[in-house]
Amino acid sequence: MSGNSSDNTFSNLTRRRMLAMGAGVTAGAFAGLHARSAFAALKLDVTQGNVQPMPIALPDFVGGSQADSEVSRNVTGIITNNLRRSGLFAPIDPQAYIEKVSNPDNVPRFADWRAINAQALVTGRVTRQPDGRLKAEFRLWDVFAGQQQAGQQYFTTPDNWRRIGHIISDAIYERLTGEKGYFDTRVVFIDESGPKERRIKRLTIMDQDGANVRYLTRGDELVLTPRFSPSTQEITYMAFGQGDPRVLLLNIETGQREVVGNFPGMTFAPRFSPDGQRVIMSLQQGSNANLFVMDLRSKAVSRLTQTPAIDTAPSYSPDGTRICFESDRGGSQQIYVMSASGGNAQRISFGEGTYSTPVWSPRGDTIAFTKQGGGRFGIGIMRTDGSGERLLTDGFHNEGPTFAPNGRVIMFFRDPGGNAGPSLYTIDITGRNEQRVPTPSFASDPAWSPLLS
Amino acid sequence: MRTGTTISAAAHVGVLLWAVLVLDVKPLDNASVESIPVDFVSATEFSKMTEGVKNAQKQEQPKPLVEKQGEKKPVLEQAEKLTEKQEIVTPKESTPPPTPEPKKAEPKPEPAPKQEKAETKEPEPKADPIAEALKKEEKKKPEEKPTEAKTAEAKPVPLPQKKPPQKPQPKFDPAQVAALLDKRDPQRHAATGDTINRTASLGAPGANAPELSQSELDALRARLMQLWNPPIGIRNAGEMVIRVRVMLRPDGTLAGPPSVLTSGHGPMFESARDSAVRAIFRGQPFNMLRPQTYETWKDIEVTFDPRDMLFRG
Repeated sequence: MSGNSSDNTFSNLTRRRMLAMGAGVTAGAFAGLHARSAFAALKLDVTQGNVQPMPIALPDFVGGSQADSEVSRNVTGIITNNLRRSGLFAPIDPQAYIEKVSNPDNVPRFADWRAINAQALVTGRVTRQPDGRLKAEFRLWDVFAGQQQAGQQYFTTPDNWRRIGHIISDAIYERLTGEKGYFDTRVVFIDESGPKERRIKRLTIMDQDGANVRYLTRGDELVLTPRFSPSTQEITYMAFGQGDPRVLLLNIETGQREVVGNFPGMTFAPRFSPDGQRVIMSLQQGSNANLFVMDLRSKAVSRLTQTPAIDTAPSYSPDGTRICFESDRGGSQQIYVMSASGGNAQRISFGEGTYSTPVWSPRGDTIAFTKQGGGRFGIGIMRTDGSGERLLTDGFHNEGPTFAPNGRVIMFFRDPGGNAGPSLYTIDITGRNEQRVPTPSFASDPAWSPLLS
Repeated sequence: MRTGTTISAAAHVGVLLWAVLVLDVKPLDNASVESIPVDFVSATEFSKMTEGVKNAQKQEQPKPLVEKQGEKKPVLEQAEKLTEKQEIVTPKESTPPPTPEPKKAEPKPEPAPKQEKAETKEPEPKADPIAEALKKEEKKKPEEKPTEAKTAEAKPVPLPQKKPPQKPQPKFDPAQVAALLDKRDPQRHAATGDTINRTASLGAPGANAPELSQSELDALRARLMQLWNPPIGIRNAGEMVIRVRVMLRPDGTLAGPPSVLTSGHGPMFESARDSAVRAIFRGQPFNMLRPQTYETWKDIEVTFDPRDMLFRG
């Protein structure tokens, strides 16, 4: 592959060189010496790169006082951990550092950082303000260009230091990768504890790195498929209380709960619309299930599908104009796409096996899914027209993909089988960098929040 | 008439087509063939190769002819003298003693004649002009040589062999040694001639072109490919083609910061731009570019195009 492409590029090169030389000659005839400065003598195409984690140096932030230096170290640790887990950065061992940064406002000695092959350097400081707040500031340096690439300062309450670390991580990530970060986010999931026959399932929320675990339900009822609101601090999920299983709405801050709609049958598989104003879900009717959407303010309900089949797992495109969902109307579970107002649905999955739990990427360009076939469950992505299908991971049981808000990373849960339980994993949409997400016990059904800030 | 004109027209068209096709093919082949020798030869390389060949011939020839590695040193020292005098003087006399000795051990026969030759070669120049009294001095020298042979081959036998042949040299004239010596001489001359000719033929065309060679370009491209870490995961990564103009000093370092010719804005563009510029910063000095060709590479426009490597490349 690479050999061919390099050959091609060379033939391109020679042709371009000849053209360039010809152009240079003619231009020189007309414009004289001016042409010389306008055209480079040699043109070179580089069409293949070497994608690898960027070496980055993250010396501990400087603290104002003794207590501050403790916080400074912790903030630096959070940034380092975030960047390493992203798979796009390779934090350098601090023991290799030559220069000791004492004043993050001074221009660092770039030669010292080039010597340890650092491509980026982050310096910073955390100080306590007279009013008790923490002030955190950082500078991101391009070591080889010898320039500052970014610099910010933030104020927050002292107990919010973890978020400061995540926010700075996002700023670094965005500046170096060109994309919004996803570190200042949370994940809601189903915490599973107890023996396999009597699992206690609790709705749980935590930071994306596994810190600040909080239980949102007591575990006296079965809960499934939590989903984050993209715009408010609300979660929608399915719970088996008394009577039929219902779709519920939970405010994370107040703990207030309400049932979504008043339907005669079981409702399940809820998900918010991109503007957070509507919830789309499945309603069981006999042996069939169809898609309904409810406006949360007006409580108006509209029906989207009417088929003698099971339509479920709906997910909006980020612009809110289309919906992808799973249906067995063709005989087996496949993924369909239709307008957000209903109408004709178009099947997009045509591979071997069955497809379920489609999720539209926040980028809008791909749909993630669970694929089942040959006794294996895999997580994959395809374009919204069904082309370019790729499996990112495959195994005994992988299910329930959810996108990070930048669409770059997918979280899912994996059950190894046997007496073990499921746990959460993340994987890059390129299929690289699979990471286990730390959770207090077994965990399933993750849903990624939007960026908090 | 009509048939005649159509036939002639068709024939002309056919001939023209054939000519066009043939002409198209040939220039392509020629271009590719010519480019290859340019890579290998320069004036300095050619001079080095020719120098090296002269030395190498003398060393290599004795090795394949008789012995493999142990006796290189004596052969080197005596080679010039041997070529001139071997046939005339000593070879005929010295041969008989070695033949009986080889019977004792299998590996011995091969080294034995060589050692004798070496011995004979040194004594020969001395023996011819000088009287028998000088031969006594020669005896001392051969003793030193056998010690070298021992160290090299670890064979106890050569010592007795060398001593007897020196004394009996006038007496022993059998044909075996002479035959061996004769064979060696022509082989040496032929080998030297062949190697020199070959290198010269390769080197001559290269001297014409001090241009930037393919290998230098490929090495430069390879260096940049190794160091370029594009943000391929981003959305619309394929649109982030960055053109950078690089001005270099003769030592291959940057004459100034690379100037980005592509304009754009936003974090994605900045990330793509920085990755390209970083690759160039990290790549210096570009020491794969020869100073002789500086005029051709002092000003380079590099296009970083990630479209072929989206996702897993």
